[in-house]
Amino acid sequence: MSNPWIAIGALALVGVLIPLGMMSVSALLRPSVPEDSKRASYESGEVPTGNTRIRFNIQYYMVALLFVVFDIETVLIFPWTVIYGDAVDAVGLGPALLPMVAFIGILAVGLAWAWRNGAVRWIRSPRAQQELTE
Amino acid sequence: MAAIELPTWAALAPALILAATALVLFLIDSIESEPDTTSPVLLTAVGLAGALGALAFNVWYLIADTGQNAPIELFGGQLMVDGMTLVLGTIVASVLALVVLASYDYIADDPYQAEYFSLLFLAATGMTLLGSVDSFVTAFLALELSSLPSYALVAYLKDNQGSVEAGLKYFLIGALSSAIFAYGISLIYGATGSLQFDAVAAAVDPTALPGILGVGIVMVAGGVAFKTAIVPFHFWAPEAYEGAPTPISAFLSSASKAAGFILAFRIFTTAFPIEAVATTIDWLVLFQALAVVTMVLGNFAAATQESVKRMLAYSSIGHAGYVLIALAALTPTANADLVLGAGMLHLLVYGFMNTGAFLFVGLAEYWDVGRTFEDYNGLAQEAPIASVAMTIFLFSLAGLPVGAGFLSKYVLFGAAVGAGLWWLAAVGAIASALSLFYYARVVKALWIEEPSQDFEIDTYPVGLYAAIIVAAVVTVLLLPGFGLVSEDAIAAAGALL
Repeated sequence: MSNPWIAIGALALVGVLIPLGMMSVSALLRPSVPEDSKRASYESGEVPTGNTRIRFNIQYYMVALLFVVFDIETVLIFPWTVIYGDAVDAVGLGPALLPMVAFIGILAVGLAWAWRNGAVRWIRSPRAQQELTE
Repeated sequence: MAAIELPTWAALAPALILAATALVLFLIDSIESEPDTTSPVLLTAVGLAGALGALAFNVWYLIADTGQNAPIELFGGQLMVDGMTLVLGTIVASVLALVVLASYDYIADDPYQAEYFSLLFLAATGMTLLGSVDSFVTAFLALELSSLPSYALVAYLKDNQGSVEAGLKYFLIGALSSAIFAYGISLIYGATGSLQFDAVAAAVDPTALPGILGVGIVMVAGGVAFKTAIVPFHFWAPEAYEGAPTPISAFLSSASKAAGFILAFRIFTTAFPIEAVATTIDWLVLFQALAVVTMVLGNFAAATQESVKRMLAYSSIGHAGYVLIALAALTPTANADLVLGAGMLHLLVYGFMNTGAFLFVGLAEYWDVGRTFEDYNGLAQEAPIASVAMTIFLFSLAGLPVGAGFLSKYVLFGAAVGAGLWWLAAVGAIASALSLFYYARVVKALWIEEPSQDFEIDTYPVGLYAAIIVAAVVTVLLLPGFGLVSEDAIAAAGALL
């Protein structure tokens, strides 16, 4: 009549002991070879330039947001097209077609607005331009 | 009673009108010849038409008893329209109309006006929908629809550091509380296997998984507490209200708060009725404690403020505490219709008087008067009509019988006493007495103190003045008209229980 939680506790204990044991054993056994390139960040074999705090152009986010518009659209339109024929037979043309027209219409208004207000116009960064010419 | 037979989906007309207005505003902004050249008059006119149209539908449905005998269910029970939906719709649409009118002057010199108005309407759509949600999924979606545009609106003055900081803080805390709310929903689904409010109530089994259900209920309460700025989720409110454009502060502190409370009323009466979940978690005790803490903390913090706008922000937290009495006093001995109805009535009256008070601060900002109590010294000599209106708002907020704030507080505290919670009403009364002190400081500055500066007031903005005067007139008219609206509100509450 032992408590089943004892097994869980034992598993947790082993789970903590094994990595700790492996790390301490290797710390005792391994030779110490200090070297600079070991501390450098790994960039797929390239020599790293600069640090990680780079500013991204805000327009990447605009493009990502517009991508979400089309992404969601696709996710919802695909199943709709698959059942469209059956749906027209079952409920008629209007109830099958109109909700999707309204949905795409709302998306289109959003896209037209974003387009008109320059969300897809790629603005060049003055700083990058300057660095390019120097 | 129905003179005209409408299809069932027409019950959502108020929300549909608001959403359509937002899209029309986007379209207007897309087809203008040059960016930012649309006349503000056109935008305000479209906005006002949309808000008044939604208001007209709400009032019509309230009078025609749409969905009040039996709730109208839509989309397989995901949405429903009943009396409480329409009461909330009325509050949101009225506040929205006032805010649109006042924004005409307030943002007259700022760019992106069409976006401002359409975000306002999208947020209002979400708030209106919050009154008609009948499952946790739609509740979460409507909550997000009302929150996301609000974050952008708070940061609308994007060259103003205070506005941007307020927007960022509001967004971060809002995102955190959305996460808490969504996690709470998932726990409730895990415990009950359902997301529909009434199905959750039917499936609640206090013996199976009581811990998961209890934590879920507390997390949902936390998500709602954020939306309504209840202690301990209140700390975004003073920052956001102070930094935001003042019409937006008015909108958030009145309409958004009302929407959050109506959602709380719906969830905690329909999904977690106290008799079903009392053994898991007694949310009556939870809300009683939160109501006391919120009333005391909100009012004491308001009393120590130097800036009038920040004082109003803290007083708005205090008022959230008063309305929370409506949930805290749902004891078995209480007259439940009266308690909940009183909460809704206070939200309605508060919508007008608080919006008006914030808009007066907006008027003062328009004139560059300054932010502190001293800066308002002697303003009544320059703007007597607006100052009379502000005096009405402040005394009504404090609970003096110049506006309907007196009656709604009286009914609320009376209902709490009737529920056997005389101590809760006593805390409320003491907090109200304290609030009179700091509200009176503004009135004293306006009327009695000598001006400490030369006001440079050369124009009297029409939109702001009209909004303030309409709000004042409605605040006063609700005093004799209280019986009419209270009937509807108490009937709406009765339908819920």
